[in-house]
Amino acid sequence: MRERSRRAFLGGVGAAGVGGLAGCLGFELESGSREPALVENRPDAVYRPTHTEGMAMAGVVSDGGYSCALTYSYPHRFWTVTGDDTTQVEVGADDALHLMPVVWHSETGVVPSDVNPSVDVTRDGESVVDGLNPWPMLAQQMGFHFGDNVELPEQGEYTVTVSVGAGGDRRTGSLAETERAEFEFTLDYQRSELRELPFQDVPEARQGTLGAAEPMEMEMVPLMRAPASDDLPGTVRGTTESGDAQFVVTTLEDATPFGGDEGQGYLAVSPRTPYNRFPLPQLSLSGTLSRDGETTFDGYLNEWLDPDLGIHYGAVVDGVEGGDELTITVDTPPQLSRHEGYETAFMNLPAATLTL
Amino acid sequence: MSDSHGIDRRAFVKSAVAIGGAAALSACLDRGTEIDVPRGPEDPTAAFPERQHAWNAALPTTDAGNNHHPRHRVLLALDYGEGTPTEAERETVEAALAGVERAYERSAAGLLLTISYSPYYFDRFDADLPESVDLPEPRALSAFEDPAADDADAIVHLASDHGEVVMGAEEALKGELDELNGVPQPDAALTDAFSVRERRTGFIGDGLPAENQDVSGVPDDGPVPEDAPLYMGFESAFEGNQPTEDRVTIREGPFAGGTTQQLSTLTLNLTQWYEQDTREQRVSKMFCPHHAANNVVEDAGENLGTDPRMDDCGDPMETARSEGVVGHSQKMVDVREDDAPIILRRDFDSTDGDRAGVHFLSLQRTISDFVTTREAMNGEEIDSDSAVGQRTNNGILQYITTVRRGNFLVPPRSLRALPPARPDADVAEVAERAEVADA
Repeated sequence: MRERSRRAFLGGVGAAGVGGLAGCLGFELESGSREPALVENRPDAVYRPTHTEGMAMAGVVSDGGYSCALTYSYPHRFWTVTGDDTTQVEVGADDALHLMPVVWHSETGVVPSDVNPSVDVTRDGESVVDGLNPWPMLAQQMGFHFGDNVELPEQGEYTVTVSVGAGGDRRTGSLAETERAEFEFTLDYQRSELRELPFQDVPEARQGTLGAAEPMEMEMVPLMRAPASDDLPGTVRGTTESGDAQFVVTTLEDATPFGGDEGQGYLAVSPRTPYNRFPLPQLSLSGTLSRDGETTFDGYLNEWLDPDLGIHYGAVVDGVEGGDELTITVDTPPQLSRHEGYETAFMNLPAATLTL
Repeated sequence: MSDSHGIDRRAFVKSAVAIGGAAALSACLDRGTEIDVPRGPEDPTAAFPERQHAWNAALPTTDAGNNHHPRHRVLLALDYGEGTPTEAERETVEAALAGVERAYERSAAGLLLTISYSPYYFDRFDADLPESVDLPEPRALSAFEDPAADDADAIVHLASDHGEVVMGAEEALKGELDELNGVPQPDAALTDAFSVRERRTGFIGDGLPAENQDVSGVPDDGPVPEDAPLYMGFESAFEGNQPTEDRVTIREGPFAGGTTQQLSTLTLNLTQWYEQDTREQRVSKMFCPHHAANNVVEDAGENLGTDPRMDDCGDPMETARSEGVVGHSQKMVDVREDDAPIILRRDFDSTDGDRAGVHFLSLQRTISDFVTTREAMNGEEIDSDSAVGQRTNNGILQYITTVRRGNFLVPPRSLRALPPARPDADVAEVAERAEVADA
């Protein structure tokens, strides 16, 4: 294990949709956070939140084929998702920061959705937090990541260890070559630093309107977006939509990396958010293919990680022809906790169809 | 005695068990209420079953019809050191164990105990354990755990409803007491043959987790329900969710009548569980989504009686696909035989290290039975084929970390004192030598 860098790093807020930083501290940060009231009448869709946030980074460490950036911001509300239910999580009185261990596959930049990072925090050798498994989350400024609000007893330096297990079986190429990994960081928790992080109110007239905050670009940390449809491998068959989610469909002639036999094809569906093109992991998807009214495939579209397709869902099929009808059924919405602006979206996802 | 006094005293006794030692014991005894526990028999070996783990007959049944679990526990992790045991050491160990058995009756109010041995202990013998004993060294049982190996040579498990009893037995086994419950104790002590590497303590039963929730891993506002038997707030060892002792007993070979014991040290992080999950989410994750949607579980689940009604939960994969969450108990249904699990749970909660934890102790005929059960709990296929994550919405995996795993053999009583790896061979060898001597 090697610590490549350890420096405070202020992530900039997205360029569009927000002005300068003047007057950005619209709240006082003491032990927790005072977030603005939620937008009234939130649409059941991706909407612009009340504010955008900056974040800090404790460093980037690589191990086992992965890299990990320990990023953090002030604590904030989010929503957990279980099935079709969302539950709002308020900031606790003792929450010190929102901790986000961002783990990605070093070679491809894919943020794996099949491993859940674990976090241990110590101070002077004494355990402060252990066995914390942050939630998989979706945020407009970060896309898919893991995070949770964390209590720390006082300001000062903490040792934070992030670990991930070996990856799952549904990976291709170099993504399949990772090992169990551990990353150690020193995090200097200072309220003054958090206070200085960008906090930008979104103009009231824009809050709650359809749209999304711009993703945050951070030096050294890849922002994982779903490939643009032109960049997807195979024969791109088109895009269909379901409740704000976009599904780009492509077919590959070679299904062998995905467990198929020679001569079989691969049907890949790449669901992504509108505006920011973030992939949507942790869905249960099914697909039906039919030709001239006859069903040629009916089954699960399973989640895979692939260097070129990124996080996507696919199935091995016996061949696809132009004109085939594809129906994509969402059996469960993405089981991802949501940051503001995503909590009402991607929950009611009707079946989507596409003529290939 | 007022209720609050009762709770004060209970908390005090539990703390004393956690602290341990002669001073804690005497403080406990000095503090009033003399406990009145009947003594054990003069000759425990003649009176007690060959199966050390045959506790059920000695345990009362709860109002809900489940076996009561003794409320206070001590696990003594022992090291034997180098070399192989002598007959004298075996006699010493047996004498020490019999000493405490004479002091307290064999019951939940009195004392229940087992002694078990690890693969590291058996490594010292030239012969391997017989094939009828499945006792591999412990290993990680999921892609996301990295446990330490529990390589103590032996574990003594002491259980009683009275903290004073487990503490007293512990002190006597260490040779610290001349008399226990009015019964003279032998000079022999476990510490003549072993050194105590570590003492682990814990508790189970209504009220105890709530009274002991001021530890790391539990939010500060005291969220553990007052009557809950375990930190996570629910009953877990329902009678209908436990196999018989027969099912977990080794049937063949020289260790027939014994069992294997899997012991993991788990830490709990219940901040998310109590502060971020709703009760409905908790019921979904502990039992199944059906139980959450239909309000099947009241409070800790006493209303379920002996049966957690797993048949109503549906197929775990189907639930995961359609609900995005799968229950912990629900995942275990598939590993049942004759409608019962294949591991017998004797686990309990702990505040060791001032953090909320579980000593997950289970008995099964083979360690493979435990591995099968744990693999079902991992739900890897469910994770892979549905919206359920590696940990998120995957039962209770998000809240539990396995920090240590150990496998042990609980030999039958007649072999409980420093057993050889191949008692049958030894017996045959001894018999052979005897014949040679006779000739």
